[in-house]
Amino acid sequence: MNHNRQSNDGNHDDDSALSDFLASLMDYTPTIPDELVEHYLAKSGFQCPDVRLIRLVAVATQKFVAEVANDALQHCKARQAAVVKDKREKQQKDKRLILTMDDLSKSLREYGVNVKQQEYFADSPSTGIDPATRDE
Amino acid sequence: MNNGCLENRKKEHDNSQKRPKSYKFGSKSDDFALAIAKVAVAQLCESVGFQGFHLSALETLSDISVRYIYSIGKTANLSANLAGRVEGNVFDIIHGLEDLGSNLGFSGASDVDRCVVSSGVVKDITHFVGVSDFIPFAYDVPGFPVVKESTKTGSFWEKEEVPPGEHIPSWLPAFPDPETYETRLSVENETMGVSNGKKTESELERVERKMDRSLLNLQLRFAHNENKGGSSHGSGYVATESNPYLAAPLHVGEKEVSPVVLPTKLSNEVALRNPVHVDVGNHVSVLETFAPAIEAMKSGLCDSDNGKKKLLYDQRPTVRFKIGIGKKSLGTISDFGSQNEEDLLKIASWFGNDNEKDDKKRRVEKILKESVESSKE
Repeated sequence: MNHNRQSNDGNHDDDSALSDFLASLMDYTPTIPDELVEHYLAKSGFQCPDVRLIRLVAVATQKFVAEVANDALQHCKARQAAVVKDKREKQQKDKRLILTMDDLSKSLREYGVNVKQQEYFADSPSTGIDPATRDE
Repeated sequence: MNNGCLENRKKEHDNSQKRPKSYKFGSKSDDFALAIAKVAVAQLCESVGFQGFHLSALETLSDISVRYIYSIGKTANLSANLAGRVEGNVFDIIHGLEDLGSNLGFSGASDVDRCVVSSGVVKDITHFVGVSDFIPFAYDVPGFPVVKESTKTGSFWEKEEVPPGEHIPSWLPAFPDPETYETRLSVENETMGVSNGKKTESELERVERKMDRSLLNLQLRFAHNENKGGSSHGSGYVATESNPYLAAPLHVGEKEVSPVVLPTKLSNEVALRNPVHVDVGNHVSVLETFAPAIEAMKSGLCDSDNGKKKLLYDQRPTVRFKIGIGKKSLGTISDFGSQNEEDLLKIASWFGNDNEKDDKKRRVEKILKESVESSKE
């Protein structure tokens, strides 16, 4: 009985926490606009008249993108730190942090998204091979 | 096998060139939403600390964020439908978020008897909202897609019109006003209609005017055709004042028509194969041979009797056409010894084109022969 009471109180707290959170969402405007989220939710077939749920999805997506970008930033900084060890000139030039496909694919891999690009494009299978071996 | 594989590869290559992106999120109709997503993602990356982007990276990330929204919606919709609901609620969304977050994991994921309300996903989001800065979207986004307001044409019932005909229900959209397709006639009807009091005469004149100006109004023409067919069926041929195209069809023998003369060879063949046919001579009137067929067509417009149908089966001769031989046999007019010159000219006029073609062919052959001989020399 005690356990039940505690769980009931816990549930009540959780319920209130959730409802408070949803209420607070109305004050916080996420960066991703509501119309965009509504459009893609409608495309997927999800019907909901409640605006708070749309805000919830928007905030969740914002969190996801922020995490991915953060990881990519860490990769970018790590690469710059590795380069600095070799040449000091690059440190002054590459102060700008640029989101590249390379960093993005590394960070997305942890989230289960496989973004792979061709490393290079060649004219024929024998491009770049040592000419001695090519003749053979 | 090899050729088949190569063709498949080519087809896939062509298809990939035509549709480089996924059809769902890369089609032209989605460009607006993707552009908005790009701006939002760029703003988020800037807040994280990036100062510049590669365009391909930005496009990839915005595409992935859009798919994230789509997959949340799809999972939430699925869980709502499983619960027997059409509209989703907060629990469906939390289920969807847990599904997507199960890859990396969230706090409390391994608890067996956890409640959705106290899900770790929600706690993470709550924490994120508390920590992150407030970054409003850069532009004002209108509600899209914009729904076009359709101009609804009122139904018969709404317009309080009686539909013409019992087969038309009143809830269907009403027919357009007759003024929209009778503009020219309405003005002159007032001037001419005064002198003629009878309704039938005014209709005739109206029809005449229409045909003169070549206004093809099928509805009225059918209506007038019915009226005329019913009125003139017994009387026969209508006076020349009326429109010849709308006159009642002629029966056999009503009007004198010049007979069609077939050449002796064809007529003899027809006579041999059709002992029932009365005229065995050279002058075979085609109209008579095909009169039953023509009657059958016309009887379809008027009320058809069974007697006419019987006529069909009794009198129709078997006509066999020979293609290919006829050209050569008819090209030379000297075969017909007993024919009149007029008839010969008629036949020649039919096959005149063929004669010309034969002449041209002969000339071409002559020229070719000459050229070959000259080249040989």
